[in-house]
Amino acid sequence: MYSFLVLIAGMLQSAMMSFNGMLSESIGLFGVSLVVHVSGGILLVLYILIFIREKITLKGMPWHLYSAGFFGVLLVSVSSYCVGILGAAATTCLSVAGQLFISAVIDHYGWFHVPKVPFSPKRIPCFLMILAGIILLNLS
Amino acid sequence: MILIILIAFLYGCATVISKMINYRAAQELGTWNGSLVNYVVASILALVMLLFTTRFQVDLYAYVKAPLYLYAGGTFGVIAFVISIITLSKMKVFQSTIFLLSGQLLAGILFDLFVFGNLTAYKTAGILLVTVGILWDKKVTAA
Repeated sequence: MYSFLVLIAGMLQSAMMSFNGMLSESIGLFGVSLVVHVSGGILLVLYILIFIREKITLKGMPWHLYSAGFFGVLLVSVSSYCVGILGAAATTCLSVAGQLFISAVIDHYGWFHVPKVPFSPKRIPCFLMILAGIILLNLS
Repeated sequence: MILIILIAFLYGCATVISKMINYRAAQELGTWNGSLVNYVVASILALVMLLFTTRFQVDLYAYVKAPLYLYAGGTFGVIAFVISIITLSKMKVFQSTIFLLSGQLLAGILFDLFVFGNLTAYKTAGILLVTVGILWDKKVTAA
């Protein structure tokens, strides 16, 4: 049951990226980012008030954590741009490959105060396979 | 082609940094308010960028003309987020990562096939190789 829910969540994320990509052709990348965050924000406020019954508060964090919003705009705009050129599946694949790569680097050097996890050589064949796939994508 | 591939790859890298910041924000304000910060700041920032890039002349007609269903993206995003929070404590991280990725790829391939119509043989093979590589890596690191 929970597995199925998570599968649906993944499909929704992909659908969001595709819809955003198509919408950006009419209203531009920043227009999409505005629409997505305003509509999502309103829904989230309603969800918090009705189901979580928590007080809404946005104040009191170290200032640099507010850069989350900068990344929000960046990620929605960039993914909308990519999906229009690469398609939804390839954009997803490349993004997850990027996530694996940077996570491995962050873990290896212990950046952002995460516990250091040295890169395991066992992962090299996996990364080579991903690289081969990326080369094929480049040829298409 | 290589440039857009690099951009999509860097997009994935930025996703991780963004997740780490959101995680820290959730520690400060709680899961829900911490995530709401992202939406509020991003809305303001996107509005500013929109106004600047269009020199304060936003083509409102384009917003009306666009098909209404395309505006569902934000709603989908919130539903996916709520599901991820609800299921977080109920599943192993490895398992949930695999199902999330499967859902993303399944819908992605359907969209490519029926909406974008841009799935070539090379591309399908590339997607397949990257996916197997990712799953293999997940298995190696989970062990």
